[in-house]
Amino acid sequence: MYKIITNNQLCLVKYGDQIPVEFLEGKSYMDVLLAVRDYIQKGWRLETHPMTGSLKPNQTPYKSIMVSNLPVDREEFYQQEVTIENGITACKKFQSIRQTPDWPEHLREDFRIVDLSLIEGAIQKIL
Amino acid sequence: MKLELGIIPINDIQFGAESKVENGTIYVNADELRALILEDEDLKSVEFDIARPGESVRIMPVKDVIEPRVKVSGEGAMFPGIISKVAPVGSGRTNVLRGSAVVTTGKIVGFQEGIIDMTGEGAKYTPFSKLNNLVVVCEPVDGLAKHAHEKAVRMAGLKAADYIGKLAKDIVAEEIETYETVSVKEGIEKWPNLPRVAYVLMLQSQGLMHDTYVYGVDAKQSLSTIIMPTEIMDGAIISGNCVSACDKNTTYHHLNNPVIKDLFAQHGKTINFVGVIITNENVYLADKMRSSDWSAKLCEWLGVDGAIVSQEGFGNPDTDLIMNCKKIEGKGVKTVIITDEYAGRDGLSQSLADADAAANAVVTGGNANMVIHLPKLDKVIGYPEVADIIAGGFDGSLQADGSIVAELQVITGATNEMGFNQLSAR
Repeated sequence: MYKIITNNQLCLVKYGDQIPVEFLEGKSYMDVLLAVRDYIQKGWRLETHPMTGSLKPNQTPYKSIMVSNLPVDREEFYQQEVTIENGITACKKFQSIRQTPDWPEHLREDFRIVDLSLIEGAIQKIL
Repeated sequence: MKLELGIIPINDIQFGAESKVENGTIYVNADELRALILEDEDLKSVEFDIARPGESVRIMPVKDVIEPRVKVSGEGAMFPGIISKVAPVGSGRTNVLRGSAVVTTGKIVGFQEGIIDMTGEGAKYTPFSKLNNLVVVCEPVDGLAKHAHEKAVRMAGLKAADYIGKLAKDIVAEEIETYETVSVKEGIEKWPNLPRVAYVLMLQSQGLMHDTYVYGVDAKQSLSTIIMPTEIMDGAIISGNCVSACDKNTTYHHLNNPVIKDLFAQHGKTINFVGVIITNENVYLADKMRSSDWSAKLCEWLGVDGAIVSQEGFGNPDTDLIMNCKKIEGKGVKTVIITDEYAGRDGLSQSLADADAAANAVVTGGNANMVIHLPKLDKVIGYPEVADIIAGGFDGSLQADGSIVAELQVITGATNEMGFNQLSAR
């Protein structure tokens, strides 16, 4: 079973009835990373990279990440834990430089559209 | 496969009644070019402007930069599978209008990025301040979806570069650069004692505004494969990537890939430059595994001794870069990787999102978090209102005197990961 963890409502609206979506409404990019880390530490498999796209963690408010309950071996568990921790570290690094601005709605919609496009590349592979 | 580049130096661009290239100047009939570009019904209007080296001009935001070229002989035409039909390119002769570029600007999203300053501090950090630029400012029809808007602006730039390139078709260039890749068998016979080197070119491939096309194929959909370096010189790879201005590869970068140029300079002398492996940077982790497995397998199969690996972009491509590096090294092939860094404003933070002990030979394009001061310039071509977003909202701040304090990452090409930039430790 695949699941998307996201704070992007476009993802929920478009795919919510085709694939389980954990929607972190009103939460931050960092909140999504931390939620995904919980999944990884409970043995779920990371299916997409936490740092998709070239928009910076202090630029875009939105992040969508795919996990699954497919088997994870010991080496993979270690690798994906390192991957999510690196993502969290990177997010903290950028936030310490400058925090994500409180963007107006039309810019937020643009960031949502780009985030959706990034996760769609993966969703299309598993639907 | 052998390609001759006929270099035609360009010193100026002017608008004129007749489109032509004469005595180092490109003359553009704006009405004719506009009509060509507006054949695309997704565009409402197109305006042009010119930015020359040294002028007090800022181009903002920048989507793509393309060098005008035209095939004089050999199969195919520029930008196969996109502008021209699918045909194998990379042989014969191609004329290059060196010193000129087409720059597209299009506010596809509100946070569109990329600044080219033609003078002042900012000009030092982009190679495009040295070129005579025809800037294409596109306005889409109302309500156009983002994907369609991005495609329309991408095509407008390529069409403009192709139109201008064709003006040079009948010019006999005085300066010729010759590049040749022989077959694997011939290479072994000719240079049995030279180290065999491949170039692994990583292509951005993640989605809207993060894509690259190879003979018109979306790189997201491709397995890792091999390509002749001269095919890239004829526009086989074009950029649909326009996020993260400092380290995205414009189409100009692909056409003028400096790693390819430098490898050819050593080819047959200190190394045997076997060829180019292209691989992608997908978001799906299984794709990353597959692509990096494939790159490493190709390195092993081609029997190379060393590989240069260049990445494109920020964040998850660091993972592809390290995967490629580790796996290629695991095949007994030495690697050198080229990247840029986000090391924080003081340069003390971890630069990449991933790391491995195998990555012990790294060339950096610079620290994208470095703070720079951009002077107020007299003219902005493009969408000046994004200055508030780039300047005040995120990437920097607008000073009272109109200058901008920003991170280096706002400048197009500033920390380019092919090494096509100005920064050096020398």
